[in-house]
Formats: sequence, structure tokens, C-alpha cells
Amino acid sequence: MVKNNSIPSRWKIEMKKIAKKTNLQVTFSKRRSGLFKKASELCTLCGVDVAIIVFSPAGKVFSFGHPHVESTIDRFLTRNPSIHNLNAHCNVVEAHRDANIRELNARLAQLVDILEVEKRKGQALDEVREAGRKQWWWQATINELGLSELQQLRNALEELKINVGKQADLLQAAVETRNCWPFLAPNGVETSGLGSEGNEVNASSGITQMYTFDPNLYFGF
Amino acid sequence: MTRKKVKLAYITNDSARKATFKKRKKGLMKKVSELSTLCGIDACAIMYSPYESQPEVWPSAMGVQRVLSKFRKIPEMEQSKKMVNQESFLSQRIAKASEQLKKQCKDNREKEMTQLMFQNLIGKAGMHGLNMMDLNDLGWLIDQNLKEIDKRVDFLSKTSHNPQGSSSSVAATQSAMTTAMPEATPRASVGESVQTETNNNFESMQRQHWIMELMNTNPQSHVGFGGDEMMFPFGDNINVNNNALWSNAFFPWEK
Repeated sequence: MVKNNSIPSRWKIEMKKIAKKTNLQVTFSKRRSGLFKKASELCTLCGVDVAIIVFSPAGKVFSFGHPHVESTIDRFLTRNPSIHNLNAHCNVVEAHRDANIRELNARLAQLVDILEVEKRKGQALDEVREAGRKQWWWQATINELGLSELQQLRNALEELKINVGKQADLLQAAVETRNCWPFLAPNGVETSGLGSEGNEVNASSGITQMYTFDPNLYFGF
Repeated sequence: MTRKKVKLAYITNDSARKATFKKRKKGLMKKVSELSTLCGIDACAIMYSPYESQPEVWPSAMGVQRVLSKFRKIPEMEQSKKMVNQESFLSQRIAKASEQLKKQCKDNREKEMTQLMFQNLIGKAGMHGLNMMDLNDLGWLIDQNLKEIDKRVDFLSKTSHNPQGSSSSVAATQSAMTTAMPEATPRASVGESVQTETNNNFESMQRQHWIMELMNTNPQSHVGFGGDEMMFPFGDNINVNNNALWSNAFFPWEK
């Protein structure tokens, strides 16, 4: 079982009104969201019609319904079975809606998966950073360094900055050359890089493989 | 309780679907009840299933009526403001997840870039595989660090009446500082209040043009970035005054 360790979800909570107002509001927000999520799942899995109405502590109203809050409320209020048949949704409309929902569910699941991967990657990167911070003085947090160290580091960074500029010049020149002579491929100058092309590139011998997330793959909807 | 991951699709198996329905219906009603109790709010739930002609309700038929009339009393705009169905609800969740993902990726890229910067400082990585955008971001990151350093140096210099616990004698450092410390040249393309935000948007227009300032700069004397030398991280053109600090006993290569 995969457990979300950042939120303790196995607390035993007493079933009475929460005393502290801020906790109450947070709880409302979270539980309302979870409730709607559960309702949504139930609708998908078992094909039921629901309506849920919830008033917030502040007096605002939230509602979730399938296929619509309104139609389900009306159905309840009229209590006439024949009305239900009248309401019998046009099959085409219903089929279309179901297909849409299927697609949305799939997309959401995909996003959640990718998010999980990226989160783990972030954690791994944090660990690397932390290890380096402890091991090498120049990887320490800047506030941990003394004046002399800061000066050394500064010099090194300035140098590096110049190199970056030089490399950029090199790239620019290569691009221009290629534009003039499209059949010429300059040696040793690659442009795939880390950037948003989405390729996995071994930027150097010492660095772990990096890849960059291509937003177009996932945000275009 | 099973903890298998359930595929979110209509359950075609009739008995399985009915079993799931019974469990989840019960769970859902319980959740509504808990929400109402814990937060002291009014709520109701109506559920129509293919298994029963009468709807399942919470808290009761009367209770539902009461909440419904309360619902109907408020202005229609307020009623529909936070009203969702499956499609809109899922769309909202997708939007939120996308935002989180974008942010996470941006953070990850910055972290990777930091590692790249460190690797380059000791000449352990080349920049050959980087494209213009990478170089731009790398340069920006270097600048951010330089800013931080300047800020810290400034702070330390101001409070330098107190002995520095972690570096050489104040006198030596101060003389090194005055000769070696160049004036922090303002980067026109980076905003003023950047120092407080180290999490700027990598895609901002300002940053994209940052690299232009670096390019075509007159190269200074040959930069010796020894890739093989693991002894000292930095090149040869260290200030003479700084050399005096190398002998500082505190200056370990590794902590």
C-alpha cells in the first residue's frame, strides 16, 4: 500500500464539532474536496446519479451532482417515477458525456502519475544537494561561509560566467554558420542540450542523465 | 480492506459492481455525516441507483427537504457558483494538478542546474551539450548566487567588528575584500527586488535576454579552469591577496 507520508491519515479523530476555527475551516475544505472525489468515483464505477449539497462554515454552498445537481434535485422533489423516464437521458448525449468523463479521468490519472515521478525526482535532487552541501565547502549554503571563502567562490563564479558567455558565442556562431551553409555540421557543437526539446542528453561525463519535461506534451488540452 | 489500485471505469461485472456500490455508498454517506458533524454544517446527499426505485438519502428524507429549501432560498447565482458535475470537477482537478506539475518541474530544473553549476566549478563537466536556453538559465543561476554572495559579504563587512569565527583574521580578509571585491555590477536585465525571490520564473523575458549581456564580452586573460586538478577548484587567476588565505589552516578542501 502506498501511503502518503506527508499527511497523517490514520489519526483517530473525535466525532464532534472541531473547536478551533482555523482547523475547522481547513478540515472542511479538505473533506469537502475528498467527498466530491469519492462521489465522482462512485458515479464512474457504478453508474449512479447523485446530488450532494454542502454549506460551508462561512455560509457558502458547494454542490456536486451527476449528471447534474439540478436534475437530480428535481427528480427527488417531484418523486414521480414517470418523471424519471421522461428524464431518461438521450442516449447519445449520455454516451458522449461518459466518453468525455472517461477521457478526463484518464488524463487526471496520467498527470497524477507524472507528478509523482517528478516529486520523487525532486526529493532525490534534494538529497544530492544536501550531501554536497555537507561534503564540499563551496557547495555549502552561502550563509555558512566565511569572507575568504565567499571571495574565492565569487571569483570562481565570475570565471564560470565568462565561460558561459563564451560558450554561448560559440553556439551562436555555429548556428550562423549552419544557416549559411546548411550542409555543414560543425564538430562538437550539439544543440539538443537540456532544453525543452525533451531529449535525454548526457551533458557531461560526471552528471547524471537529465531530461527536461516537455510542457507541450501534457498541457495542451 | 483491499488496497489494490482500482481502475476508474464503469465496472462491467454485475455482481462486482453491486458489491462496490454497497460499500462505497455506505462510505460516502459516512463521509457526509462526518463532514456535517465535524464542521457543524448543513449537508445532504441524494443517490439514485439502478438497484432501488427509491433514492438513498442522508440524513433523512426530512433532512434533505430542509437542506434543499435552504439551498433554494439563496440567490440562484450563489447556488450555481460552486456547483460542479463530474466533468467540471475533473477539469478543475486536472488544472490544479497541471499547476503543481509545472511548478515541480521548474523547481527540479533549477536543482539540476545548480548541480551543473557545481560540476562546472570544478571543471568536472563540459558545457558542450547545452543549448542556448540552458546556458541562459545557467548564467542566470550564477548571477543569483553572486548576488547572494555580495549580500552576505556586505552583511559580514558591516558586522566585521566582531571576530569572524570561521575565516582568517579580519584584517587579512578586509584587505582582500577591498582589493579583490569588484563593485557589484548591476545586471540590467534582472529586476531590482530579485534578491528576495530566488524562485523566479525561468521563462521570464528578462532572463531570456540575460545571456545577450554575457556574449561577445571581451575575453579576459586565458581562463585556467583545471579539469584535472582536483586540488583546487578554481583557476589560476586568483588574487595574490587571496593566496595568502590559502595557507589558512581553516581552509580545508573537504569539510
